Amino acid sequence: MTRKHWLAGAMTLLCLLGTSAATAEPLVIYSPQGDERAVWIAEEAAAAGHDVTILTAGGGELFDRILAERANPQADVVLGLIDAAMATLKAEGLFQPYVPNWAEGLPEVYRDDADRMVYKFWQTPVVIAYNSDMLPEGDAPASWLELVEDRYAGKYVIGPTTWQTTKTYLIGMLLRFADDGGEISDEGWDFMQRLYDNAIVVDSADAKTAAFVNKEAVIDLNWFGGVGRQAGDVGYKAVVVDTEGGTPFIAEGIAVMKGTDQLDDAKAFVDWFGSAEFMSAYAARFGQVPVHPDAIAAAPDTIKRNATLLRPQPIDWDVVAPRIDGWIQRIELDIK
Amino acid sequence: MTPSGISRIPVVRSVLLVVVIWCAASFIYAPIFSVLRFAFAPEGDIGLGAIGELAGSRRVRTAIVNTLVVTGLSVITVNVIGIFQVAVLEYLRVGGRGFLRFAYSTPLIFVSVAAATGYGFVYGQTGALTRLLQSVWPALPNDWFTGTLAVVFAHTFLLTSFHFLFLRAAIRRVDYSTVEAARGLGASNMEAFVRVVLPVLLPTIFATTLLVTYKSLGSFAIPSVLGGRRFDMVTELILTLNSLRRPDMAAMLSIGLGLAVILCIAAMQYVERRGSYVGGSKTPVPIERISIASPVVNLAVHAAAYAIAVIQLVPIALVVLFSFAPARSIATEVLPTSFTLQNYVTVFSQSTAFVPLKNSLLMGASATMAGIMISLFVVNLAHRHANIGTTSLDLSFMAPWILPAPFIAIGLILTYDEPNLLVANRVLLGGFWILPIGYAVVSIPIMMRFLRAAFFSLDPALNEAAQSLGAPASYRFLRVTIPLVLPVMILIAAMTLNGILSEYSMSAFLFNVNNKPLSIALFEGARSANPEQAAINLVYISLIMAFSLGIVTLADRYGLGGGK
Repeated sequence: MTRKHWLAGAMTLLCLLGTSAATAEPLVIYSPQGDERAVWIAEEAAAAGHDVTILTAGGGELFDRILAERANPQADVVLGLIDAAMATLKAEGLFQPYVPNWAEGLPEVYRDDADRMVYKFWQTPVVIAYNSDMLPEGDAPASWLELVEDRYAGKYVIGPTTWQTTKTYLIGMLLRFADDGGEISDEGWDFMQRLYDNAIVVDSADAKTAAFVNKEAVIDLNWFGGVGRQAGDVGYKAVVVDTEGGTPFIAEGIAVMKGTDQLDDAKAFVDWFGSAEFMSAYAARFGQVPVHPDAIAAAPDTIKRNATLLRPQPIDWDVVAPRIDGWIQRIELDIK
Repeated sequence: MTPSGISRIPVVRSVLLVVVIWCAASFIYAPIFSVLRFAFAPEGDIGLGAIGELAGSRRVRTAIVNTLVVTGLSVITVNVIGIFQVAVLEYLRVGGRGFLRFAYSTPLIFVSVAAATGYGFVYGQTGALTRLLQSVWPALPNDWFTGTLAVVFAHTFLLTSFHFLFLRAAIRRVDYSTVEAARGLGASNMEAFVRVVLPVLLPTIFATTLLVTYKSLGSFAIPSVLGGRRFDMVTELILTLNSLRRPDMAAMLSIGLGLAVILCIAAMQYVERRGSYVGGSKTPVPIERISIASPVVNLAVHAAAYAIAVIQLVPIALVVLFSFAPARSIATEVLPTSFTLQNYVTVFSQSTAFVPLKNSLLMGASATMAGIMISLFVVNLAHRHANIGTTSLDLSFMAPWILPAPFIAIGLILTYDEPNLLVANRVLLGGFWILPIGYAVVSIPIMMRFLRAAFFSLDPALNEAAQSLGAPASYRFLRVTIPLVLPVMILIAAMTLNGILSEYSMSAFLFNVNNKPLSIALFEGARSANPEQAAINLVYISLIMAFSLGIVTLADRYGLGGGK
């Protein structure tokens, strides 16, 4: 045999090994969708012929982990991280371009026309909700800026800044004090200090729940889907406020990791996950609002109503993303 | 041994030497260099920007103040309790000495994150003692046990182990004839203690004071578990800075902590050196315990002695009792009313509960093995060929002794968060092995100290006898030296493994989903509101304590570190 033959043979063998490894190993997906959601997604994916393992952790933790593993990525697909996190990971060069087959018809803000890497599938407002058994409607805060008032002292909970939700509402409030260049005024940092001084500050989900169980906390700063869950766990009726000045919205994206050894499987999974069919099924089951018009159209009526329930606060995540680390550092080191 | 085997040995030794030097370069020097580089030149230009930013941060300043306040208070309270305990056990005639000695020895087995979690369990929000206190004093808030109070309290009753070990040994060296002479001259018991006994003990008290300072400055698990909201100490803040992606500030703060610790150790060495001159008499009359004449004082001393014993025993007793109770009785009962083995079954049968235990055992065993092998090689080399090369190798591996764990952890993170040529261009951060490497690095100095002591106490005649019979060096090492130091080696290995089971400082920095150790599982469990999780924690703590008890008993028998 000539050298060329040898080479060709070796290549074939390598390819065979490659494909067999790909089919033998499940696709590894990193997602902050925890517990029953992850289980349900995995089951539905399996039913649709996708062999997946979903590794779940807090959004911030997952983000740190992906960055830490950048030299040796373990994930094939990342799904469910929010705008800023996805923007940073993209800027770090961790994603592989792929335009899903459901990109068409997606509103422009949820597409990634420039880089063709990150596509958004859900949107979630981060809201103020209150326990209506404890707090009459007229006494609820009408805006995020009212939280620092004395009457709300010790009535709301701020979670760890590693939580995507916490990060989002803190950023949403800070941005009201930003100048054109994106700098936060002293007044803004003052406000942040008062916001923390007025709050119950916790470091775990259990501690947050405990504050509601003890009836200390009556105002829940949470993502839309989390409000109902928190109220259900503790046992009260929650009402969401459509705040003056708007509510920060976050959208969750999906992207294929660069260097995945199962590119085709990853693409197929992304196509299936974002499809109107699965999105509307997920919406029906967990009450999450999809962003694709086809998915909204196929979703139950409550979802359609929720899609337009709150006025959004305009946030340009491209401008915000590179500043977030500095803001969170300042909050953690000077304010908390 | 065959002739070919003899010629092979120098090759083996050269290979080992290369491996050991590589270990020192990769896991001691490279991390130290990374810390210095990130602290003083994060962007390539040398500067002190990180110091300014640290000084500018309110939370950093508060953490430094907290650490100093806690340390100052702990030094006082630990000394008061520790000296009183030693007086009760060795100077005064107090009934039930065996029981008291047992109670006062518990800080030897109830340590680090296990002890912190145990205290949290009994004094915390839903703890049995909190509820007991509230039944007497209803106004007591649920979260009364938090902040400086909680941390100093825990330090007070958990850091007395140095007094128990060293001060008791020191008081036995006091010449009783001097006490009798003082009393003959009209001094009371108290006066005799203060004027005659204490001065002899002073160097040891100084040394234990510095040990307590050293421990308190680097305290990590206790403030993390018990400190509560808005209470940080320096170690915790180094971790926070690291997670906020400010390695420069984390590195600089760990250097600050390192300097404080080095200062302590230098002071300790100075006192140790001076202390040897104040040894008391050569042929002392053994100290005799004194009966307290005044019934009031006697009663007060007994009351205080037993109160301290109860404070030290109750958390342990509750942890062990509740580990055998159904999960639902936790946080609802002051004392369990029914008992079950279910929690133990869960830990050993449920994979999520067993994994941290397995991880810790696996990482502990591999770190211990590697550590023992390196220590043995280096100590043997330095013992037999004392020259600049071997001495500096020896000192290299001793370096982590004067560096706090967060310093080394930050160094390992900064060195191995991207591909590094030292480890074949691999990334260690996020993998399984980075934590056992960290464990080994911090364990080696103590192993070397004990091994060196064992080597120096070897009778050189044995080696010479073997040599005169024609045995080559390697053969003598394997067949004469090793069997002689084997008991010490096994004991040190067991003590190291015991320490790693509840090691928190290194673990908090270097753990990840692939190697979550017992200490982190304990920490997370302590923050969970789920009683099932609390029950699992109690089993973990009980297992750690049982293991420690075995080791301490063993060490006591061999006269290593323990002591009656």
